[in-house]
Amino acid sequence: MDGGRRGKPVGGVLRRLLNQIGGALVFPLLAIGISFLIGAVIIIATGNNPVAAYVALITGAFGSPSAIGRTLVNATPLVFTGLGVAVAFRAGLFNIGGEGQVFIGAITAAGLGVALGPLGLLATLVCLLGCILTGFLWGAIPGFLKAFFGAHEVVTTIMLNFIAINLATYLALNTLRGEGLVPGTDTVAAAVRLPLIGLGLGRANYGILLGILAAVVAYVLLWRTGRGFQIRAVGLSPGAANYAGMGIKANTVLALAIGGAFCALGGFVQVIGVEGKMSIPFVANLGFNGIGVALLGRTHPVGVVFGALLFGGLQAGAQQMQFATDVPLSLSDVLLAVILLFVTATKIVEFVVGKRARTLAAGTRLDEGLGR
Amino acid sequence: MEDVLGLIGSVLASAIRYATPLVLAALGGLFSERSGVVNIGLEGLMLISAFTGVVGAYFSGNVIVGVLFALAGGLVFSLIHAIMCVTFEADQIISGVAINLLALGGTGFLMVLIFGSGGTSPRIGGFSEVPIPLLSQIPIIGPAFFNQSPLVYLMFLLIPLTFFVVYRTPFGLRLRATGEAPEAVDTAGVSVTRMRYYGVALSGLLAALGGAYFSMDQLSAFTERMTAGAGFIALAALISGRWNPIGAAVAALVFGFAQAVTFRIAQDAIPLEFLQMFPYILTIVALAAFGGRAIAPAAVGKPYRKE
Repeated sequence: MDGGRRGKPVGGVLRRLLNQIGGALVFPLLAIGISFLIGAVIIIATGNNPVAAYVALITGAFGSPSAIGRTLVNATPLVFTGLGVAVAFRAGLFNIGGEGQVFIGAITAAGLGVALGPLGLLATLVCLLGCILTGFLWGAIPGFLKAFFGAHEVVTTIMLNFIAINLATYLALNTLRGEGLVPGTDTVAAAVRLPLIGLGLGRANYGILLGILAAVVAYVLLWRTGRGFQIRAVGLSPGAANYAGMGIKANTVLALAIGGAFCALGGFVQVIGVEGKMSIPFVANLGFNGIGVALLGRTHPVGVVFGALLFGGLQAGAQQMQFATDVPLSLSDVLLAVILLFVTATKIVEFVVGKRARTLAAGTRLDEGLGR
Repeated sequence: MEDVLGLIGSVLASAIRYATPLVLAALGGLFSERSGVVNIGLEGLMLISAFTGVVGAYFSGNVIVGVLFALAGGLVFSLIHAIMCVTFEADQIISGVAINLLALGGTGFLMVLIFGSGGTSPRIGGFSEVPIPLLSQIPIIGPAFFNQSPLVYLMFLLIPLTFFVVYRTPFGLRLRATGEAPEAVDTAGVSVTRMRYYGVALSGLLAALGGAYFSMDQLSAFTERMTAGAGFIALAALISGRWNPIGAAVAALVFGFAQAVTFRIAQDAIPLEFLQMFPYILTIVALAAFGGRAIAPAAVGKPYRKE
């Protein structure tokens, strides 16, 4: 998975890219297939017709402009949280703190957005930068604790989730409490909000384009800059990176901080894009689902975007499915869980496709360098 | 003076109640991780068993049947994790995340199918306190240690038992060796696969007791997402306690104590949100100050493939 070095002929790069994409798609597609098969058995067990349920599910996700709009709205914050988890993962660090980082971003966006309302689009930009800054600083805390005190990032990011959620909740209900009947902050002025795309896509807004831009930024950062090379080197082989004089401590702090900034932007697009305010209770599980999105997307920015669309689509489609059949909404979570279960199960593919797949499977391990 | 003693006693008692599911799940995670399988799915294992326990207790009217159902739920889900991680060599962290999501979706799904709607299940007859004669009359420690529900007593028994099994039995030696040097275990003629299945299955059973505590003791019903991150805190306790049963239990008890204290003191002076932050801040500070440089079992997270 080294995304090409400079100075190679374009044809070779393209061919390699296609091979990579083909290899990268085998496991997710197989996992999706298995998941829908298991889902069909579950649907039959509930006395429903799986074909009808799946038709409703897919129509509800992609069948009309408004369905696509709902999918995009669901997917947008997940692109950011997925990227936030993925960047840290590349450094061999497991960021479970996305949930709290989303809350930090959301309260920052709501606070700045309300305060700077008259500035219009300039305020949007300030909100964006503010979220990057607060997310970066919040994400740096577990990095700092890991680098200088040896505190395991899995523990500290989990703890920081609870702290961030409580902190943001307090601010939204007290310091920044708005006038409205729904508990939470005031609503951000319309001029500050991300514009709707239109085209019948409903509430879908330009946040999704920001998400794609963020994926490009993450790709360039990780594969086209020296710092990104260092971050990946620390993830693949901390010992070798250290020997090569790359500061493990600095890269640890930086990777988690950048991850925090991406996750905080998930809060930004939710507040400035979709809701216009931070209401309490704020939408839950954006950060935790970001873990699933990142892993489904093999911690690659392109994969993350597709992973987020799959998550968002299944969530949107499930409502239609529940409406059209008696299958409960939660089936979408079950389907996603089964996809995740199988997406790295390389041995299964050996049973299905034969030993040849082993070469494909090589290099798909995500756990190299984790748990150091 | 009597009042102060009474207060200390009741804070201690509630600290132990908060800590009970955390200790149980952390001990479970210990068996899994010592065998070399990361178990980030403790949260899901507790959630599904909290649910299956309520289903068992609701339809049988018997709390013991409920516990058996909880154990079965935890066992089945942990075996899914084992099949994926050990047999199919899936990524252990992804599988754990999937177990959490599967439990979340699965319980939501089954709530609708079995009880007709999501949210909260009908009430069941749960556990109640069983005071131990005489001992429960001792000031301070009486109410804390000797006037609790059976699951709390079980938790206290399981801490030394886990220590004994892990450090003083051939099984424990093999389990630890599987997590540190699977090649050596394999060479010695012990099946790495089998040891890891045992480890993960034990994590399911112990986490199930933690789950049962939530739905059949703390509350006599199941509510969606009722474990609310406890599995992650148990994981944190396990790591803070450096994969040692006593250490993990102490970490969980300290956390429970912090939680109990914050809800007794200064409710009016300090906003609720800040009180709720306190146990987590304390854990971070404690970890940074004393518990740093946690060394995981060497082979944890890596699938073992015979050469």
